Amino acid sequence: MATLILDNGAGTAKVGFSTDNEPRIIPNCVTKAKNVRTRIFIGDQIDECKDLSSLYYLLPFQKGFLVNWEIEKQVWDRMFSKDVCQVDFNETAIIVTEPFFNFPSVGEAINEVIFEEYQFQSLHRTQAPTLSCYKHQKDKETSGSLFGTLVVESGYSFSHIVPFLKNKPLKEAIVRVNVGGKVLTNHLKEVISYRQLMVMDETYVINQMKEDVCYVSTHFNKDMNIARLKGPLNTISRDYILPDYTHIKRGHVRPPPQDGGKSKGDEQMIRMNNERFSVPELLFKPSDVGIQEMGISEGIMHCLSLVETELAPHLLNNVVITGGNALLPGFQDRLYQDVRSMASDDYDVGMSTPKNPITYPWHAGCDFSLDPNFPSMCVSRHEYEEHGHNICSQKFNVSSTSPS
Amino acid sequence: MADKRESVRIKDGQQMRILDEAARRRRQRKALEALEKDNFSEDPHADLKMSKKAPKFEEVMETASTSGPKKKRKSRGDFKLRYRKSFAALLEEEHMLNKDGPSYITACAPPSKFPDRHFCAVCGFPSAYTCVQCGARYCCVKCLGTHQDTRCLKYTA
Repeated sequence: MATLILDNGAGTAKVGFSTDNEPRIIPNCVTKAKNVRTRIFIGDQIDECKDLSSLYYLLPFQKGFLVNWEIEKQVWDRMFSKDVCQVDFNETAIIVTEPFFNFPSVGEAINEVIFEEYQFQSLHRTQAPTLSCYKHQKDKETSGSLFGTLVVESGYSFSHIVPFLKNKPLKEAIVRVNVGGKVLTNHLKEVISYRQLMVMDETYVINQMKEDVCYVSTHFNKDMNIARLKGPLNTISRDYILPDYTHIKRGHVRPPPQDGGKSKGDEQMIRMNNERFSVPELLFKPSDVGIQEMGISEGIMHCLSLVETELAPHLLNNVVITGGNALLPGFQDRLYQDVRSMASDDYDVGMSTPKNPITYPWHAGCDFSLDPNFPSMCVSRHEYEEHGHNICSQKFNVSSTSPS
Repeated sequence: MADKRESVRIKDGQQMRILDEAARRRRQRKALEALEKDNFSEDPHADLKMSKKAPKFEEVMETASTSGPKKKRKSRGDFKLRYRKSFAALLEEEHMLNKDGPSYITACAPPSKFPDRHFCAVCGFPSAYTCVQCGARYCCVKCLGTHQDTRCLKYTA
């Protein structure tokens, strides 16, 4: 029997069979293009769209939780179809990820859709950090067994700090910071629209710009001072050429100017200066825009204060960073620097970011599907038809799993 | 002549409209809500007559409210409606069902122990001053001028 792994993120879904080398990364949304009025784009169909300006997004997720099945069904239909994964539902087990503290009715909806709409053979519902922890443990097994793992997952809707004792998440110590990639992009849009050019409708373009030029500062005040400087002394400022989708297909940083600093011809340009690092800064200081929450680094310390004191040093020495925001240059360095300065001198701090922090949980799902215990952690369609949602909530509930 | 003398600063000061605490909080809340928005503009296809392939959101909603006693689980796809709950409704439900014990609500990071930092609303550099009228931050006279000309009381929440 084949196993399909679906890391169903609010921004992108990572989907593929356990036998695939890499997952397909599919935008988890339906998109409408302002200039293409004859059709809509479901999930990865957006690749067929030539003009990516002024895209209108229909998202199935709200604040990280699956609320709009109307849209999600279309994306999943597309994903399971022969164009993408070609799933033979009767012969396939599926692993689906959901956020921590997913609302019970959303979980029930997933059960129902998987078993009744698609008729999958069996289902395992879990969380991306739980999978990440599994893989991390397994890969490190040779270097002695790991007692605790702290997974920091910073995604599209929010960032989670999840402590694990062996493979079990410690639910009462999970910390969520309500800042993710979406907030960063929206904030950047707002700032650019006020200071330079109206880009409020250009979510796609600005998100790409964020991925291209933003970084996490390790010396915030120093960088601020550099950004104040004029001319070549300012090593931070970048001129970003926006795509027009006729001549320029993709936005890019303009190479250092040989002739003056003005944009030539019709091309539109955004000068990214302190925005480059003050936007991702929200992950570490949400209060900069008035979100009265701890940032990720402080959140880690808060999380450690909630677990047993014996466990804290183990967690601190074994931090895994996943999620799309981990790709921001400097993310791990900054996190390390912050945590090192706040943590007790007696403890070692150890952090690692997998090569691809976006697909890591998906790869972990592949490994997990080969685990001898995996079949027993699934609910089969037969069991679902017999016992309904109860058996699912028993098997998938985080709190009911006893520590092994 | 002497009795005609008056201070422009004081005169202006008396006329100045100042946003009260509630209005400032409302503005702040609106700004935070904007950070969660999926789209800035309305659906560009809203005026289109939908093709067969396109999703018919409103129409489905209407049939749901008008078609009274529908047989349970008869039609495929009615799960879309049964599970159609807004985030606020889900949160409310969670609040009722899961009062104690770890939940979405308890997992949220508490306020930071460190003091807030302030940045100029215009240029983004560290700011030392607060706009008297609306409470926004600014860093220099130039930025204050830009702020007053564009945002200060120009649009009110």
